[in-house]
Amino acid sequence: MAEERKPRTLATKAAASIPKFVRGNLAATLKAKEEGKKVADAYINDGQDEIIRAMDIVPAWGESFAGVCAAKREAEQYLRKAEADNFSRSLCTYATCTIGFDMWREELGGEMPPKAPWGGMGRPDMIIGSAQQLCDPRFKWPQATQHYLQDVPVYVGGMYYPQWDPNVDHHEQEEIYVKYARAELMELVRFCEKHTGKKMDWDRLSELVNLTEKTWDIFIDAYELRRAIPTPMDTGDAMNTMVPLTFNLATQEAYDFYKALYDELTEKIKNKQGVAENEKYRIVWGAGLPSWFALGDFHYFNEKGAVFPVEVTYRNCEKIERLDLPPTNDPLERIARRWVRMWTYWYDAARKRKGSIPKVERIISYIEEYKCDGVVFHSAFSCRSWHAGIVHQAQVLKKVYGDIPILIMEGDIVDISSYNEADTHNRIDAFIEALDAYKKRSQ
Amino acid sequence: MTNFANGSGLTVADKYYSQYGLRARELKGSGKKIIGYLSVLGPIEILTAAGVVPFRLKGNVSEAITKGDAYMETIICPFVRNVFDAAIKGKFDFLEGMVLPHQCDSIDRTDDVWANNLQLPYWHYLNVPHVTDDPSIEFMKDILRLLIRSLEKLTGKKITDDDIAQAVKAHNENRQLMRDLYVLRKSNPPMISGTEMMKVLVAAMSLPVDESSALIKSVTEEVKARPMPANGKVPRIMLIGDQIDDVAIIDTIEGAGAHLVMDDLSIGSKMYWTDVDATPDPIQGIAERYLRKLKIPTTFVGDGNTYQENLEARFGHMKQFIKEFKVDGAILFIYKYCDPYGFDVPAMKSFIESGGTPVLYLEDEYSTSTLARVKTRIEAFLEMIA
Repeated sequence: MAEERKPRTLATKAAASIPKFVRGNLAATLKAKEEGKKVADAYINDGQDEIIRAMDIVPAWGESFAGVCAAKREAEQYLRKAEADNFSRSLCTYATCTIGFDMWREELGGEMPPKAPWGGMGRPDMIIGSAQQLCDPRFKWPQATQHYLQDVPVYVGGMYYPQWDPNVDHHEQEEIYVKYARAELMELVRFCEKHTGKKMDWDRLSELVNLTEKTWDIFIDAYELRRAIPTPMDTGDAMNTMVPLTFNLATQEAYDFYKALYDELTEKIKNKQGVAENEKYRIVWGAGLPSWFALGDFHYFNEKGAVFPVEVTYRNCEKIERLDLPPTNDPLERIARRWVRMWTYWYDAARKRKGSIPKVERIISYIEEYKCDGVVFHSAFSCRSWHAGIVHQAQVLKKVYGDIPILIMEGDIVDISSYNEADTHNRIDAFIEALDAYKKRSQ
Repeated sequence: MTNFANGSGLTVADKYYSQYGLRARELKGSGKKIIGYLSVLGPIEILTAAGVVPFRLKGNVSEAITKGDAYMETIICPFVRNVFDAAIKGKFDFLEGMVLPHQCDSIDRTDDVWANNLQLPYWHYLNVPHVTDDPSIEFMKDILRLLIRSLEKLTGKKITDDDIAQAVKAHNENRQLMRDLYVLRKSNPPMISGTEMMKVLVAAMSLPVDESSALIKSVTEEVKARPMPANGKVPRIMLIGDQIDDVAIIDTIEGAGAHLVMDDLSIGSKMYWTDVDATPDPIQGIAERYLRKLKIPTTFVGDGNTYQENLEARFGHMKQFIKEFKVDGAILFIYKYCDPYGFDVPAMKSFIESGGTPVLYLEDEYSTSTLARVKTRIEAFLEMIA
């Protein structure tokens, strides 16, 4: 258990501006009622952003709110609340933290529970979940929330992609998946129309799809600048700078943020400004959501001369031209195909390397392109969606790529009871030694 | 074909329960292809139509995980880990392949762990959706057709609509026979114990459908021939959960002085309560059963006009079971790290309790190592409802 909080320093001005975004998103849910807007509980990477924004629905992001609660070390009271009504501690703590908060707010007749971080989150008028391969809580969490907000309608749509199979050409199955995802997005449009009383403005939706694609592009352009040595930004910052892509997609603010980040990183590279004073080791953050209450650990790495120029986590987008999307005027089809191709983007590369899998192929690509010396994974005990299969990724990486230092850290995203700072730092120290030995062997 | 002479069904069930996979191994020896599957979403009708033997995988709650943890994180469903441990130790070395239906994150996220490490000749991930609207039915039909194509490649034999219709008929008959056996649990006391029933359920899921049906028929005849026991005042319990496939927990319940008279388990009533409708396109009926008729927490149900309607659609069948089987108390036994069931607990518990039936909620491992603790709680619950 960590005894004290250490402030984390941020390398970029962009990352330092992120709390404004997060606060703004939470405040928007509170102001929405005054503005006559509807609020919807929403979940990241569901492909629903453009539709929600085009319908002028204000998203309330439980994952963001729970992350803020964790970072401020205020999550425990909500986790306990949920636990008291038989939600197990082993369930997704993003969900149980937010459900505990919802339960409490209902008990208080809509008033915010005490110590609600940044004013809390507004009561939703609807819940928009997604059933997909990404994560079970995206359809169970809405259902469980409705138990406490029984008047709030729930929509859950499906968005799937072909599962990786080295013996199957996923391209041959793509139309099945795109057709289904498109139909489910259409169902979402109907749901939103019913519960907002407004009709979809299809031209506006198309504009927001354009804006989203531009944002994906500028995001990747900015992040790829981190290939520079020394890297101008690492994962410690990226766990902040992911906010606009993840929670503000399909808004001009998100695009502008990454344009500003691009300019800032360009300037830093020109001035040879790195994250670490003396950059010695470069590491891929291979998988896993971070412990939001322990982001200072990134700084601990930096103090040892270790930086993360690249991460898999929260980089759920790709350059549009690389996805090779066929032209269409149908915005729903564009959304559907973009996501199906994004989720399957690494399949072709994996098929070319015997024994590989797409997630590992992505890590290998990052190791090579960003000139990395090791890989760190974080395994969060309450989240199976991002964290089950990490051991396998590490094993396959060793097998198909060779001997590269790997560290699997263990903890949670929200629940601090699982965290031991001294033990974590000891493991980081040992990993740094392994990196050092590896670098010497490689020279 | 297994012989069930002289009402020996319970003895045969005990044999196949105790030596799980024995018959599959024999069939493999005679040239049959055995395809393993996980979960109630295993597409047994299609597998039967393909001429392969569907074999549902189970673990062993009495055996510690000794090899599996080197491949899978401990945050994964303990049932999935235990079955994988058995598989990696070679307990299912008679398998030609596996069909892994997308049911939950623990299955989805370990698909490549299974496939890469077991290296079976045949592997198919069946991407079952969680939602049940019309586009989802069409999608389910599409992915069932992908399965059919891959099985045709495996066997070298075309699977016709007639093959599927015949398989549907055989599995519907099988389900009806099992429901007939369940009826014998309605008497007070039940004519078949919970432990015996569990052995039949486990044995049945390890056999080809015709042999499974013969076994169930034999057991039913044997049980019907028993003298009707005297009325008792023993609490009648329903057990709710996913793949509980061992007698350990049932022995605990019945050893504490209760009768297990009904279940809502994925190898029990969930598997047998709903049939596939005979539809002109047989795939339509299969898609509808697996998506709309099966009552499982990994299927999202939420399009009722009110929350109460949603609850009825999700859990209403449990209240029906409670009424029909005269259940005094329900035990909700959920495996740790199970998001789909775990998120249902408050709603399910309060829904059942609203009908006046007490519920004991237990979260535990797929292991007997923690049974002593569970036993104490079950005993206290039974005392409370006595």
